[in-house]
Amino acid sequence: MSTVVAYKWSANPQDAVVGSDGTVDWSRAKAGVGEYDTIPIELGRRLADATGDELVGVSVGPAAVASPMAKKAALSRGLDRAVVLADDAVAGWNLTRVAAALAALADRAEATIVLTGDASVDENAKMTSALVAGSLGWPCFQDVSEVARTDDGWRLTQVVSGGTREIEVSGGVVVAVTTDAVVPRVPGMKEILAAGKKPVDEVSVSEIELPEAALEIQGRARPVMATRKHHVFGGTDAVNQLVAAMRADGAI
Amino acid sequence: MDFSLSEEQQLLLESLDELLERDCSLAYIAACDAEHRQPVEFKRAMHEAGFLTLGFPEEYGGTPTDTMTLCLIAERVARQGLNLGYSTEILQVLDILEFGSEEQKQAVLGVLAEGEVPFALAFTEPGAGSDSAAMAMTAVHRDGKVVLNGTKTLVTNAVDSKYLLTMARNPDATDPRRAISMYLVPMDTPGIELSPILKMCWHTADSSEIFYNDVVVDESCLVGVKGEGFVQLMKNFEVERIMTATQSLGLAEAAFEDAAAYAAQRVQFGQPIGNFQQIQQKLTDMAIKIENMRNFVYHSAWMVDNDCLDRTQAAMCKRYCSLAAFEVCDDAMQIFGGLGVTEGVRVERLWRDARGHRFGGGTDEIMVHIVGRQIVKQHSR
Repeated sequence: MSTVVAYKWSANPQDAVVGSDGTVDWSRAKAGVGEYDTIPIELGRRLADATGDELVGVSVGPAAVASPMAKKAALSRGLDRAVVLADDAVAGWNLTRVAAALAALADRAEATIVLTGDASVDENAKMTSALVAGSLGWPCFQDVSEVARTDDGWRLTQVVSGGTREIEVSGGVVVAVTTDAVVPRVPGMKEILAAGKKPVDEVSVSEIELPEAALEIQGRARPVMATRKHHVFGGTDAVNQLVAAMRADGAI
Repeated sequence: MDFSLSEEQQLLLESLDELLERDCSLAYIAACDAEHRQPVEFKRAMHEAGFLTLGFPEEYGGTPTDTMTLCLIAERVARQGLNLGYSTEILQVLDILEFGSEEQKQAVLGVLAEGEVPFALAFTEPGAGSDSAAMAMTAVHRDGKVVLNGTKTLVTNAVDSKYLLTMARNPDATDPRRAISMYLVPMDTPGIELSPILKMCWHTADSSEIFYNDVVVDESCLVGVKGEGFVQLMKNFEVERIMTATQSLGLAEAAFEDAAAYAAQRVQFGQPIGNFQQIQQKLTDMAIKIENMRNFVYHSAWMVDNDCLDRTQAAMCKRYCSLAAFEVCDDAMQIFGGLGVTEGVRVERLWRDARGHRFGGGTDEIMVHIVGRQIVKQHSR
């Protein structure tokens, strides 16, 4: 039985440079464990310590995911071991295939729960948790700030508009964790040195079954930029005029 | 020659960057400086993440680490703009771990775990600065007790310290080379009086004058061997000089970054001042000095790790880096113009703090004394 965390090894878009022609230069962006993924790893560590389960990281990505640097970076965060699919062919995969692969790795790790970050730091699609759950046939809950084990499943605290709600789930579940759920630990030298000795299971594409979900991107374009309005409302009725104008523009 | 960092060093520095972003923001450092207080919260965070026990033996909860890695960490913290934010405690505690009793080790390690300064080194006296042999403080052993009398000055970090590592002379010693001993004295011992000294630099590390008036402590306060105090203290001094040089390097890097960014955006006469040759020359010379400092520090650290540090390297490194860093900070301040001397602009603090390293840990002139005579000796027939 294991608590599984899905993490991504990717470049931080904050380090990318966007040119005046719209092209993106990633050459200075250094790869690392996704900023949002360190949070479920920390939450998973605490959960695994409480339940006695093993904490397993799963990741799908290009060959660099299995590099010594990538392994140490992930394992030093608190994982007991990792199961990765590292293949440059992944670069052309859509989210559905990636999520199906993550689900297969989680299944291989005998997951009883899968934790993910709020979103990946580079794509920010917020879809991976739901797609992984779909592949596993499990329920999925996003915006979860707390997780605890119950006799037959899990108790989740989910952030909703205006507050939180408690959810009890039996069986397996996929949980996307809020960015402020926990403060991730910073790996010290002890953790980094120990990471080099932790096991990593490398799985090849041929070992797992993936759906033939095709996705063809027809094009990309910037959204149409609306012209900025410079309208100053004056007089005693200025507030009402502002409100009316905003209603007319659909802003409220 | 491979100058690349190991994967472990890269990951450690990434962890450190996370900590610095979270617990040591530029605003936090500025506040500590303005309030003249220790960055206790940051040091506590560093301890929790294991940084403050790097270099310690494993039996004391540490992780053995080479000098190169310690220098990398110290440089990064200083580059954030925090002077003396890392390494001084480690070196001090290493002295106790090497020479102290088990009780002294546990006492000091316990304080370190709280993010507090383990102890303050009481060494300099009003009449004995560079001339440490002129030390006048006495330690008289009698009936299992030691009576300390004298004055220490410019003692760093004593205000909140729990202990004073005090160097004192046995007035009855026949051999002056074996007269000085080291004592770990609790700060709350009756007879100790502390008077804070206000300085223009190093606001995050307080300085004090400390008066010992018939301070009586148990003989168990002796650290190591009686009469070997000076030798024990000097054991880590070479590494301490290199660490001081890393402080200078980091501060200079911070000043350079600020100045270069400012030069690129400050417009005068219709263009960024970075377009003007005199500014470009300053920036170029600053970059060269930083590269030199970096090479000097890391070559020196390499020599320590490979057990081939000679008698002049650390002193040369300290002298060069202290002087060069101050020049870089001074040029950075000049690039900022009038803005550079206003409080709230970081370069003002960097300039003040860089100045302190020209005498802290040994003056520029004493470094010449150490190196110069050795050079002549080596070339004498």
